[in-house]
Amino acid sequence: MKRRGFIKKAAAATAGAFSAPYILPSGRLFAATGTRVVDHVVFCLFAGGVRNLESVHKADGNLMPNTLLGNESISSDIAAGVTPLGQVGGQRLQEMGTLYKEFRFAQGSTGHFSGHSSVMTGVYNLADINIRQRPATPTIFEYYRKHTNPTANATNAWWVSNALGPYPALNYSSHPDYGALYGANYIQPASIISQAGYDSLGNPKTFTQNQHDLVGEMRGFFDNNFSSQTLAGDAGITNAISDNPAVQQFLLDSFQEAVAGQYTNPWGLGGMSGDMFNVFFAEKVIERFQPELLVVNMQDVDVCHTNFTSYANNLMRADYAMAHLWQTIQNTPGMANNTIMIALPEHGRNAQPNTVVDPYGRYALDHTNDEMSREIFCLVAGPSGKVVQNQLISQVQGESIDVVPTIAKILGFYDEISGMLTGQPLNAAVV
Amino acid sequence: MKVSKHILLLLALLTAGAFSGCQKEKNIIYDVNDVNVNRPEGNKDYVKSLAEFISIAYTDLFGQNISQSALQTLSVPYSGFGDLKLIEDMIIKNFLNSPSAIVPSNTDMRANVDQFIMETYQKFFNRNPNEFELWHMKNLIEENADITPELVYYATMTSNEYRYY
Repeated sequence: MKRRGFIKKAAAATAGAFSAPYILPSGRLFAATGTRVVDHVVFCLFAGGVRNLESVHKADGNLMPNTLLGNESISSDIAAGVTPLGQVGGQRLQEMGTLYKEFRFAQGSTGHFSGHSSVMTGVYNLADINIRQRPATPTIFEYYRKHTNPTANATNAWWVSNALGPYPALNYSSHPDYGALYGANYIQPASIISQAGYDSLGNPKTFTQNQHDLVGEMRGFFDNNFSSQTLAGDAGITNAISDNPAVQQFLLDSFQEAVAGQYTNPWGLGGMSGDMFNVFFAEKVIERFQPELLVVNMQDVDVCHTNFTSYANNLMRADYAMAHLWQTIQNTPGMANNTIMIALPEHGRNAQPNTVVDPYGRYALDHTNDEMSREIFCLVAGPSGKVVQNQLISQVQGESIDVVPTIAKILGFYDEISGMLTGQPLNAAVV
Repeated sequence: MKVSKHILLLLALLTAGAFSGCQKEKNIIYDVNDVNVNRPEGNKDYVKSLAEFISIAYTDLFGQNISQSALQTLSVPYSGFGDLKLIEDMIIKNFLNSPSAIVPSNTDMRANVDQFIMETYQKFFNRNPNEFELWHMKNLIEENADITPELVYYATMTSNEYRYY
């Protein structure tokens, strides 16, 4: 080979090595992670089906006084059934970010699971949904864990759900390139932090560190001998062995706190609704693990199928809970001023009521794919300089499937997954 | 001329050798029966379901079938948390902490380690240990005074093989 040719080829090979994706020993292929906007995202699914009429349009007064500016009074006919809970902080959440008033859940069935699945995968479900199956496309957790460099541990990704049923399946997909290996820690606090949970898990045998090491050695020996038959993801997501004690201790501490009565009325409101408890537990996760990605949902407003006034009351509770969540983030070292919170309902509710009338004379509302059940809002709140502050976008802009790309952009891996998504980052909100 | 004679001779020898090397293959029968070779750890292709894992673990440790209400209670945390192995780990530790758990004494284990290992493998893995497994586990137990039967049970019941059948 001539000298010139050799130099040319060597230079090309070197350039190729730098521009080509890295191949890790694990066989994983990925490009270098991009720049982050902040290090943490909390995604609050303000779910259960919330109509824009009652939320951002304030047709019955300001039912979200911790989120929305304005002091419109509650409609007199339902006021007695709606309990104001007061302000959590000095500022409204709307002031700390960008509010899209006319966001859309544009396609797919306006059902709760369909809405959750679409917004957590960034893909609308247009086919029939089998609630016994995991989503076919990756969830935001899997994108995050797989495309973050270095790979994020499961303790960095949490899905805190208010319900069982199909919702546990949203912590990872059945996609062959993603799946359980990159899933989130799923928890449904209402079931696990219970008498049954305590009876099952709350009184474990304790071992010394040396004994734990010996168990690890024996188990390693057994697992090594059985490795050819073990199926990947057979036990759902798996925390790193080094993280297991911390996660177990977190659950045990939660049992102890619950037994000690600390979960009965922690916010001093006289009690906790299901939504509030779910958010409260998400706060516990935040305080303990400072996760980089946490998704928490609420769904108590769905009482609207039978009781409109309770819906309005639960909307106010959900607003309070979300503001409390924001306050906790700001009081948590590492996450304060380093977190963007995104909140939106999974879908709206119908324009026309059903036939059920509540004690205050209001008709109940379902959600069956009409135009109004596709109208939702989206709030993106975060630190100044990272999120456009006090911005109100009143025209139709943004869709549910834009949330996944937005989180990907915030956490620095959007370029790596953009080809798999049809939505776009909410660039009007995120600096 | 002399050279071409030698070449002809060589060719003749090679041809003769080639033909003489072709012999019909003999069909030899050694009168040995076919043997299926199984994996020492057995063929376990199925992951235990939630109910199967809990009820089998309960029976293995308490020597009786689990009641429907106890199964219901134990299923709650199982379905409320995503890391099933972690929950199983905690369930087994809770079982082991019960005074009703049937676990051999340390004295019994150390009096006959071979037998303890054989019985443990049979009880939890439904198979006998192979020679290497027996040797390795025996060594480990005899060299570590901290290893108790409870510890071996805990390690066995939280191993991957125990999750399969």
